This record gives sequence, C-alpha cells and structure tokens, in this order.
Amino acid sequence: MLARRVVVCLDVQGGRVVKGERFVHLREVGDPVELATRYEAEGADEIVFLDISATADERATLLDVARRTAERLFIPLTLGGGVRTADDVSRALRAGADKVSINSAAVARPEVLTESAARFGAQCVVASIDARREAGGWKVYTHGGRTRTELDAVEWARACVAHGAGEILLTSIDRDGTRSGYDLELTRAVSAAVDVPIVASGGAGSANDVREVLESGNADAALVAGILHDGSTTVGAIKQLLAAAGLPIRLVA
Amino acid sequence: MKVTIFDYGAGNLHSLLKALAGDDCRVETQTDPSLAAKDTDVLVLPGVGAFGHAAARLAPGRDAVRAAIDAGLPCLGICLGMQLLFDASDEGPGIGLGVFPGRVRKLEGERVPQIGWNTIENALDPLLDAAPLPIAYYANSYVCDPIDIPSVRAWSTHGSTTFPAFVRAERTVGVQFHPEKSSRSGVELIRAFLREVGS
Repeated sequence: MLARRVVVCLDVQGGRVVKGERFVHLREVGDPVELATRYEAEGADEIVFLDISATADERATLLDVARRTAERLFIPLTLGGGVRTADDVSRALRAGADKVSINSAAVARPEVLTESAARFGAQCVVASIDARREAGGWKVYTHGGRTRTELDAVEWARACVAHGAGEILLTSIDRDGTRSGYDLELTRAVSAAVDVPIVASGGAGSANDVREVLESGNADAALVAGILHDGSTTVGAIKQLLAAAGLPIRLVA
Repeated sequence: MKVTIFDYGAGNLHSLLKALAGDDCRVETQTDPSLAAKDTDVLVLPGVGAFGHAAARLAPGRDAVRAAIDAGLPCLGICLGMQLLFDASDEGPGIGLGVFPGRVRKLEGERVPQIGWNTIENALDPLLDAAPLPIAYYANSYVCDPIDIPSVRAWSTHGSTTFPAFVRAERTVGVQFHPEKSSRSGVELIRAFLREVGS
C-alpha cells in the first residue's frame, strides 16, 4: 500500500537556506546539503528546494547545490522556482533533481508541462499552484503570490494534469506562514478534481495539522517547513502521530 | 569491478552513481548503446524517462546488449530500466531487450503516476534476504506484465493493481522502484547486488 508522505521544504536563495535564522542552535543550518541529509536521517520522505533567488546569478548556484545534494541524498529531491522551459527542466534533472516544479511559467504557457512530460515523463513534472480564497472558490496567483490571475484553482489543477503534470503542489496563500492549519477545503476540492497525487502546502502549525490534511483533506503528501526549521516539532514526531492515527506511512528505524 | 550505466540522456544519475560507487567499484556512464555492454562487469539501466525515447536510444546497440546479457553479463534495470528488459511497452514505440517475456502496461489506479513509498510484498529472493527492503520509493505510470510469473520475486500493490516490484532471470535483476531513492535500505540493496554478482 502506498504510504502518505511528509515532504520537507527548504527555501534557498543564492545557494543558502533562508528562514534558517531561527535554527539558532545549529551551525550548519544555512547549508542546504547538510539540512537535506539531516532531514532524510530524521525520516523525511522527500525534500523540496524552492529557489527564491531574485537574480539569474543567484539562481545558477542552485544547480550546483542540487548536484552536491544528490550525491549525498538518497530520497527524492524536487527543485522549484524560476523554471521556464523544458530545457530548464532538463538542466535541473541533470543537476540532480528527481522532480521539477513549475508555477508561473505554466500559467504563462501551459505547453511547458506537456513538453517536459513528453521528454522526461509525467512523474517528474510537478505543477505548483498558489491559490487564494475568494467568494465562491480560489484564484490562482503567480510570481510568488504577488500577481492575481483569473484562473480558478480547481479548474487550473485539472488543466495542469491534462497538459501533463504528474503531481500537484498546492499552496494556500491564505494559510502560508500562519500555522493555523492547511486549507482542507481547497485540498479536498483539488484532490477530487484530479487523479494525480496532491502535495498540500501552507499552514502547518503542528503534527496534528499534518494528520488532518492527509486524513480529511485527502492529500497524498504534506509539505512541512517552518515548524521543522524552528524545532517546534520533528519529522519523527509527525510520523509517530500519523502512525498512531492509523495512516500508512514509512517509519525509519 | 567496472560498472557501466547506460545513459539515455534523460535524467538524474547522481544518486545512482554515488550508490554504485565503492572502494571495489569503478562506475562509468556510457551514452553509446553499442559500447554499454562492452568491457564491463555490470550493466545498469537507470530509471528516468519515457519508454519510446529510451528504446530509440537503445536501438543501435540493442542486439549487442541482449547478447552480452545472454552470455552472462550481470544487469540491473531500475524502473524504466526494468521495463526495457521486457518486450515492448504501451507507453511508446520501440522494442525492449526481451530478457523477460511480456509487455509493459499502463498502471491502473486512483492516482497515477504512482509517486511515493510503497510496501514490498511477498519478497522471495536471496538479494532481498541479504538487504531487506520493506518499503521503497516509486515514481511510475507503467508496470511490467510478465508472462513468466516465477521470474517475479516481489510484488507491490497500488489501488487494486498488484504488479511486479522485483524480477530476476539468473544475474539480471529488474526493480520497478528506485533503490537509489529509497534511503539507506535502498542503497544497501544496490550494494548487495554488486556483492552478489562480483563474487
């Protein structure tokens, strides 16, 4: 039986993990390679590097980080941020990513999903969708949540899958950073609309929030970041709670 | 011992290279299929990409690779690499190596691709005794449908479909999961395969 996944996200800028400042008791905190391998040892099922660099120079260093990470990480690695074309996807995969997430570029030109899936297989093409709640549903935002589009998030998820995406990384802008729990309605609505796996993101405040989004939000995986980086919980503690709730998960010895 | 990875040019080989490399083991990647099975002790068919593309890349060297495997060259096929060990695939045109009779078919299930960690069931192979792997990472939309059921040494189930996780024909092993992405236990399985074929 397929296990539900706990996916750990690291925001990377200029080759360093940011948001890591809160991780005061750890010297190696800023190094994505160290952090990724540490989370693997704790039982993370996957790692996501989200590149939030503003410039092309900063961005170029991410491929080097991916290369160094892939040599030491033996769980899947997803790269996201700034991916525009199938050639960008190719470069990320060659550098060491197993999956690549595409956000704004897919809204601008959905064919990038199709072209990437045809070349590399749907299993490595992740459509990243940032959604904000409005009357009657959720709208898709691009460019790090700054630009509103007219796209309905549930419809857009369907379109992404039709274009070739093999997985949806679904972020609630409303919940992101609030620690008030995932947007269960959003996750449920998108999960019902598509037949590819859904990774829920935004709002994790506790291990119990992770349980909720997997159990009643119908997510296949939950993305967790801040509450791990600041030490308020651990991957192990989250997984113990999921196991106790009877969810199928991978436990590490 | 020299290990050659046939590189179809599709994806990430870093973790696989690192998992294969050891004190006793030199790993090379080879993009020319006619050279992939030449002057090597082990051939690895990696697991990223689409069947049609990979079969087309393999085509010029297909017969040479098949002959080398028939002559006893140990071979490890991972995910798409396992599928290339079969006759053909519904995913795309081209012919596989046909080491295992059967076809590759679309995985039926509620959520496809299957992405994530799935349990390994009914494991019955010395390699899985040497390096137990209770759960492994999968990323696939297609699965192998073998004619020779005894070649299947372990299974997994996605939704209502039970499919081969591990097949063997003498020193050729195919795994549908990604051992190089299945954390420490997965890497151990790769090391155990190299020990087995190296002894």
